Amino acid sequence: MPETSYAVLGVFETPDALMKAIPQARAAKLGTVEAYTPYAIHGIEEALGLRRSPLGGMVLVMGILGAITAFGFQYWISAIDYPIITGGKGAGSWEAFIPIMFEVTVLFATFTAGLGMLFLLNKLPFFGHPVLSSKSIKGITRDRYVLAVEAESEAFDSAAAARTLQAAGAIEIEALPAPDRSPFLTSDYILRTLGGIFIACVVAGLAMYFATKWFPVLAPMKYMHEQPRLNAQKASDFFKDGHGMQQPVPGTVARGYLPTATGTQEEAASLVNPLPRTPEVFALGKKVYTNRCEVCHGAVGNGVGSLTAAYGAKPANLQAQQFLDYPDGKIYWAIVNGKNSMPSHAPYLSERERWAVVDYVRALQRAQNAKDEDLKVATR
Amino acid sequence: MSQDKNASNLPASWLWGAVALGALGVLGSYAAAGPERFWANWVFWFVLLFTLGLGSLFIVALEHLVNAKWSVPIRRIPERLATLLIPSIPVGLIALGAIPVLYPGARPEAAHHPLLAGKAFWLSMPFFSARTVVALALCLLGLWVLVGGSLKQDATKDPAFNFKARKFAPAFMAIFALVVTLVAFDWISGLTPEWYSDIFGVYVFAGAFLSGLAATALAVLHLQDQGRLEGVRGDHLYNLGGFLFAFTVFWSYIGFAQYMLMWYANLPDEVIWYKVRLQGSWHLITLVLAGLHFVLPFFALVTRDSKKDPRRLRRVAYLMLGAHVLDIYWLIFPILGASPRFSWPELSFALFFLGGILLWARGAMQKGEDMPVGDPFLREGLEFRL
Ligand code: HEC
Repeated sequence: MPETSYAVLGVFETPDALMKAIPQARAAKLGTVEAYTPYAIHGIEEALGLRRSPLGGMVLVMGILGAITAFGFQYWISAIDYPIITGGKGAGSWEAFIPIMFEVTVLFATFTAGLGMLFLLNKLPFFGHPVLSSKSIKGITRDRYVLAVEAESEAFDSAAAARTLQAAGAIEIEALPAPDRSPFLTSDYILRTLGGIFIACVVAGLAMYFATKWFPVLAPMKYMHEQPRLNAQKASDFFKDGHGMQQPVPGTVARGYLPTATGTQEEAASLVNPLPRTPEVFALGKKVYTNRCEVCHGAVGNGVGSLTAAYGAKPANLQAQQFLDYPDGKIYWAIVNGKNSMPSHAPYLSERERWAVVDYVRALQRAQNAKDEDLKVATR
Repeated sequence: MSQDKNASNLPASWLWGAVALGALGVLGSYAAAGPERFWANWVFWFVLLFTLGLGSLFIVALEHLVNAKWSVPIRRIPERLATLLIPSIPVGLIALGAIPVLYPGARPEAAHHPLLAGKAFWLSMPFFSARTVVALALCLLGLWVLVGGSLKQDATKDPAFNFKARKFAPAFMAIFALVVTLVAFDWISGLTPEWYSDIFGVYVFAGAFLSGLAATALAVLHLQDQGRLEGVRGDHLYNLGGFLFAFTVFWSYIGFAQYMLMWYANLPDEVIWYKVRLQGSWHLITLVLAGLHFVLPFFALVTRDSKKDPRRLRRVAYLMLGAHVLDIYWLIFPILGASPRFSWPELSFALFFLGGILLWARGAMQKGEDMPVGDPFLREGLEFRL
């Protein structure tokens, strides 16, 4: 017998003989007892004491993980990162997520089942199980039932294993030497496989590129490209005026830009600022003011901004008594409609930004006309 | 060895008492709670009884169709349960009285209703009744061929029955599809005839099959407790559990698909049906239904042991039967109003019909052999291992 041995195989003639031998072989505690049979034998898992495969649990966990992942992604995309309303459904409509959750659950679960079985449990890549090169393999695939005592360590006593199997009724004994080359994947093999895949990709890519370049007839799958669609900023003969993009229908209003303060400035006087005076609102107002108003009205609102000299017309001094007495609505109206040489800011500012800057103008005015109580509040 | 066939059963006198007491309540409810409530309850129990019987018959037919061997030892159980179709005939014929009361399509006004005028003929009382009679008759035919033939085989031991049943099964599948769809459309979605859903028949089929499976599993376990059905093992139970598991998922799939498409399209005549069920207390019931009919059984049945272990399987089977009852309640009772009705009329109906169903099922379980002893595949079925 060779020095190192992979396993000792005992050949049996009937499944019953095999089943009877299993307890004896296991009791000897020489190594892992495995059976190789041409077909499944009922009850053999229990006899061999095979542990319940952990695959089911893995699949369940991964399936649930898949469902959670799909839900999380969709929720994050459509409700948090870029809340968008499609088909009149709210941004976080879970109903629409379910099909994708289902798909991803199945994807995770099946991949776990397939790959987990192959790589984790069956220890692929495992080229050529040593038993496949045994003499007994022919019988195993036909009408022989083989019990193997497989070596667990260097100290494996193959002679004792052979004796045990013989005693248990094996009609033939075969000692299987340890394979001279590792049956597992070697780095050399991995490199060659990866290299092969890489070269195949390059060749296929180049072939595709030149094929479509030199033989445009072969252009593959251009249907997406050629669909009759309207392109932004491009001409189109679909519409009479030849433009791809059309003016919105008269009266169209963008979300969050509902027309307000449409009447005269006097009528707007009664508009009430809907925003609460919170630090966020003031911060927003300050940002808008600095970006949009300061160049003309100056940092403190006194009508002296960096542009004032170049601009010609004199921006209003918002600190003047007239504007201290202004109701919020009239300032708002000026922002929306503009006034004389002050342009309308309606296109640039949302409803919220307009009111926030009104609040900020109020704060500027208060800061320049601070009363004693204000100081107390500030220093408290 | 003489087994007391009635061990661990409720005494028959109790069941008869329940039926009698229930009958009083049933009659009283017509007078006290009004015809609408009475007929809603009646239709509810008709649908339950019918789906249970038809679901069981479907199991039998399916087994013949695919020539299943594993199920031969337990086939007698769904065969016996399928005989519930016999009492469902008088119950169904009486239910015809509900048509003028509950079904808007059968009222004269329907002819002028913009949405119903076109289908007024289909929904009219005579055609409606005729369809029901035909459906019940077709069920009887299936029962006669598949169950009657199998009982006869016990004595004759003639394998010809197996070939006959295998040939008849595909035809019965077509009949079954027709009958389930008709009954689902007529008796359930006919309550709100403006509403329609193509997949509704499949939805009711899923529930019917599940209820048949759950009842079969319960009856098998119950008979095993009495020491009967010797040779039926965890392997057989596993298959029943596997079916239950698969079809809870199927039911949920169909139910959700129906909901999602309607929710997405948001067409008034379609969503109204769901709107009613997603408001107030019905919303809660909808959520509970999803929990009991899908989430709970899914996780209860997902492991291998839970399908093999009699104790756990029994619990899930009870759960599935309860969920099926809740499902049909959820389908029918919203027509009575925004607040779910449940008090003495419903309890009386439950006493009457549950008592009756149990009495019938118990009677059926005593008749003849517990296994199809004449079936040549019985031995193979008994030797079935996973
Ligand atoms: C291009 C320079 C310019 C910018 C930018 C500008 N304004 Fe003005 N604004 C003016 C001028 C000029 C006037 C004086 C108009 C007049 O009465 O002739 C004025 C007037 C006003 C008035 C007084 C309106 C009235 O009823 O008399 C208010 C309030 C006002 N601006 C607020 C703002 C706010 C808030 C912003 C930033 C969103 C802003 N302005 C941005 C130039 C500007």
